[in-house]
Amino acid sequence: MKDKVTGHKSASSYQGRIMRERIGNGASFVILLVMAAAVMLPIWWIFRSSLMSNTELYAWPPAFFPGRWLFSNYTETLQVFKLWLYLANTMTIIVPSVIGGTITAVLSGYAFARLRFGGKRFIFSLCVGSMLLPTMVTLIPLYIMWTRGLGLSNTYWPLIIPYFCGGGAFNIFLIRQFICTIPRELDEAASIDGAGPLRILFSIIVPAIKPAMIVVGLLLFITIWNDLLQQTIYINRPEDFTIVIGLSMFRSGLKADWAKIMCATCLSFVPGLLIYMVGQKYFVEGIVMTGLKN
Amino acid sequence: MEVQKEIKEIKETKEIKEIKKHSKRSKQEAKTAYLCLIPAFIGLSVITYIPLIAVFIISFFKWKGASAPVFNGFDNYIRLFTTDPYFMDSMKVTVYFSIVTVIGSMIYSLAIAMLLNRRIPARGLFRVIFYLPYILPAAAVYIGWSWLYENNFGVFNYVLKSIGIKGIMFLNDSSAVVPSLALIAIWLTGNLIVIFLAGLQNVPRSYHEAAEIDGANSWQRFVNITLPCMSPIIFYNLIMSLIANMQIVTPALALTGGGPGNSSMFMTYLMYRYAFKSNQIGYACSISFVFFIIIAVFTVILFATSKSWIFYEEADN
Repeated sequence: MKDKVTGHKSASSYQGRIMRERIGNGASFVILLVMAAAVMLPIWWIFRSSLMSNTELYAWPPAFFPGRWLFSNYTETLQVFKLWLYLANTMTIIVPSVIGGTITAVLSGYAFARLRFGGKRFIFSLCVGSMLLPTMVTLIPLYIMWTRGLGLSNTYWPLIIPYFCGGGAFNIFLIRQFICTIPRELDEAASIDGAGPLRILFSIIVPAIKPAMIVVGLLLFITIWNDLLQQTIYINRPEDFTIVIGLSMFRSGLKADWAKIMCATCLSFVPGLLIYMVGQKYFVEGIVMTGLKN
Repeated sequence: MEVQKEIKEIKETKEIKEIKKHSKRSKQEAKTAYLCLIPAFIGLSVITYIPLIAVFIISFFKWKGASAPVFNGFDNYIRLFTTDPYFMDSMKVTVYFSIVTVIGSMIYSLAIAMLLNRRIPARGLFRVIFYLPYILPAAAVYIGWSWLYENNFGVFNYVLKSIGIKGIMFLNDSSAVVPSLALIAIWLTGNLIVIFLAGLQNVPRSYHEAAEIDGANSWQRFVNITLPCMSPIIFYNLIMSLIANMQIVTPALALTGGGPGNSSMFMTYLMYRYAFKSNQIGYACSISFVFFIIIAVFTVILFATSKSWIFYEEADN
């Protein structure tokens, strides 16, 4: 009799729990929907403004949708905003930097994850320390070194060469963490077969860490893509402008022609969006990994 | 007897060979390691630590553009803290911006991550949406938002006016500019959401179930289970986003030029202006160094207090 009662009670509380969870999930979904709309609103507003005439932009109240979708704004903008030149310039910096950064991050990550050598702890702690050191601090001495010391003003080298120096501590860690998840038995088997450490790296490790390498490549892409300050410092001639410099110059040149400025803004969103769509899966995976092990 | 001795000898030589082979291998290993680390080592020395020392040294010199540097002791630092019309404001603004952005983005990201961690439809799509701003070039984002913030025709003022609130001059009002820029910066922090989400997925479900059976409500479970389990990740995100946001410069560079007044004169931007606009290299280095010290102090404080609030699982090595 007693058992029956408690059994009944726990069943109802179980049902209550399921019920509560369902309500919670439903509420979460609604909140997320609202938040997602809020997050997307700026992007929509920028896009919708890029398709309007300036008279429509300055109408009150502002319309949520353009009255007529003026795709001609884009062709007009492209005549003034040298997107293709800027894109080519940006890629001239990004492609070698991403390749160099990824390769050197793999080499260093491998050394930290797998190899034994004297001074490992010391070099590793230098690496950790550099993660906490803001890059802005070293900007001026580096500028003097690149331009006055090495005479590299008006070239892209000061923006590219640093990425051939390990690709940043964060990316080295990411690679190291990923290599640590690969079972050591694989290396040992290969080393019994007579493979040296470098052979092991290229024949076993590299194929296994491809997702991490893609993530590092994408993260480097974003970093360089975003680095307005360093590009402003090293790039002076209009024919060398990158997308972000070109865009900010374009804006300060055209103070009030907001339709065209919004067109240029949308255009400069596109390359990142394309890269993101291609690498989306790896991206999330990689960020997940970097966050977990710290 | 002879045979046994021979066998023993053979065994010994074999062992020695083995050891030799092993040490040869470990030598080879060390050699490879150094080879692999050459680029990183150059990076750490030539483009990280040596420039840090250089900043410190140059900050004691008067160095105007093309002329030779002249040693002037603590003059740069004295000028910074006494007569400089921008510096004190710049420090305040930078710290203010960072604190607002870090706190805002931590709360926003953790909240979104917790919602995304439930069993809801279209999770993948939501994740893509919340992550999207992170991959857009920040300069373009700030420029795009500046139209949304437009005083008379921007969407934010439209919304405010339609619910009966007087419009705000977001970017042209010295008290509104930092919160306005911070909102954009918070909007840009999709990467924190993904990291939090990964952490939440590692919080054992059994903890929550056990607590629920003991009658804990969802707030109690959040405070007593989720937060402690997430504390290492919260700490990591806190440090990383603090360092990133202290270095804020893009909005000043692309949009506000430090204004109105000094109200968005972020330290990195001020350093940039002195070094590259008015060629006061030594003076700009003293700003860099003070900036470094401020970040170091924040980092040390965070690390020092972390032991009291970070909860590491015992099984975790």
